[in-house]
Amino acid sequence: MLSLQFPLLQIINTLSSKPKLLSPNLHNAHLSSRINPHETTSKLPLRATAQDVAVNRTVAGAGSSAEEAVLPDGLRRELMPKHVAVIMDGNRRWAKVRGLPVRAGYEAGLRSLRGLVELCCKWGIRVLTVFAFSCDNWSRPKVEIDFLMSLFEKGVEEDLESFVREEIRISVIGDFSKLPKTLQELISDAEETTKNNSQLQLIVAVSYSGKYDIVQACQSIALKVKNSLIEPKDIDESLIEQELETNCTEFPYPDLLIRTSGELRVSNFLLWQLSYTELFFLQSLWPDFGEAEFLEALCSFQQRQRRYGGHGL
Amino acid sequence: MDLEDEVKKVYRWIAKIGNLGLRVLWYILHFVVRICYFAHGTARVLESYLISCGLLKKYKDLNLRNLQYLAIVVESEEAYQTPKVIELLQWLATIGVKHVCLYDMEGVLKKSEEAILEKLSNATLFKVAGENDSLLDKEHIILEFASLTDGKEAVAKAANLLFLKYFKSGNLGGDEEEPIFTEPRVAEAIGAIGCPGPDPDLLLVYGPARCHLGFPPWRIRYTEIVHMGPLKSMKYGSLIKAIYKFTTVHQNYGT
Repeated sequence: MLSLQFPLLQIINTLSSKPKLLSPNLHNAHLSSRINPHETTSKLPLRATAQDVAVNRTVAGAGSSAEEAVLPDGLRRELMPKHVAVIMDGNRRWAKVRGLPVRAGYEAGLRSLRGLVELCCKWGIRVLTVFAFSCDNWSRPKVEIDFLMSLFEKGVEEDLESFVREEIRISVIGDFSKLPKTLQELISDAEETTKNNSQLQLIVAVSYSGKYDIVQACQSIALKVKNSLIEPKDIDESLIEQELETNCTEFPYPDLLIRTSGELRVSNFLLWQLSYTELFFLQSLWPDFGEAEFLEALCSFQQRQRRYGGHGL
Repeated sequence: MDLEDEVKKVYRWIAKIGNLGLRVLWYILHFVVRICYFAHGTARVLESYLISCGLLKKYKDLNLRNLQYLAIVVESEEAYQTPKVIELLQWLATIGVKHVCLYDMEGVLKKSEEAILEKLSNATLFKVAGENDSLLDKEHIILEFASLTDGKEAVAKAANLLFLKYFKSGNLGGDEEEPIFTEPRVAEAIGAIGCPGPDPDLLLVYGPARCHLGFPPWRIRYTEIVHMGPLKSMKYGSLIKAIYKFTTVHQNYGT
């Protein structure tokens, strides 16, 4: 179907747009990363892949870091999405296919997330929102949930230092009331510590529901009406938008949504915010998501004629 | 010195030949990829044709038990192609789809409602059909027309309705045990303002952009979304294939 990308598409576009000859080693490494997106590239350290691509160096625009943004061959700076959202699906299936326990899938998924964060920083993405845990996921086995909560805690603890160093701001959205107290405190601490960082904003949706997001926005507005801050007649779409949980960012509407594992739905994620978001569904499972897959999604995004139904945002 | 010059000359020749060889290899690879792409495109067209002719067995009898409600999103510029929309609906009726929601941002399809219903002898409006199950037994299709006003705007209106209801009762802050705004109450309010359609099981997007263009956000929680390409290039085979793929999907709803 058109909704699933043919992996060689990017090779065509790269060959069409940049027929210049690279040196043998660089050329072959570049092509092999495209032909076999599920193999070596996602396991290569980023430093190696940075050497393997032609560099498109531009000076970052106003409001962002003065460091040069390095893009792989085939990506255009002016067409990069500002906000990328990801539904990280397929961790359990990945583990099952390999005969591993479910926790191995989630741990591998965490590694993929770290890789994606690094790529977003490198390629100048301003906001990355990831769907880590849905409200619907609370019905999973307790053992699995407990492991996930501990993995979230471990992730925040281990990566806080690098977030500070890399100027990454972390924000967490969702219904916190069900999370363990220790995790809630860790999240608050991490958000406070990184609130002034500006390189990348990483929004992690935990215990999140798109419908709940809309409902809590309405409840917030109701309280403002009760406190006479606004009149009921002033309630409109833009007011609701201001109260959604994504109001923690300058760019609340994702330009691109990526979902792995081949499922073609948004599963109650950012329902309000996804109206004009380009949807990209990948067959690969989340732990297999790496630079090649991200590049594929970005190239597809840049190629597609993007029209917001005639309305600009 | 002469030897050194000779060595340098040989090296330059090797580099030139090597470069030429790589360039030839590059263009061969380019050609091979183009052929692959052409073959892939041809295979898809052929498959679509075979599906349309009913020659592929697995697409012949679709089990539509899980497809209770189908939504079609059309880009507003393409929505003016009323004959194409009618043809698509006729295909869906032939396949056996009973409930269809037609959506475009600007309400072009709403304006074409009369023309569409006139051309489709077996179609009834959703708000007219209501819960009339007798229509489901015949070769009938029940249509709903939606636009941007039924999306975010409808949620804002529903919220307003609830605000006014509880504002009058002086209970906007809510009790500690029972919040005022809950998903069921918001859903009920959306229904009350005239946007009662159920959540579609499958949403097909016809247009250049692979997004749902503001389809009512409250209704797409677990909806399968498939991009079909431009309406002008729609194919019966592609439609069958999309619906068939949907029938093979298993959702665990987050569990």
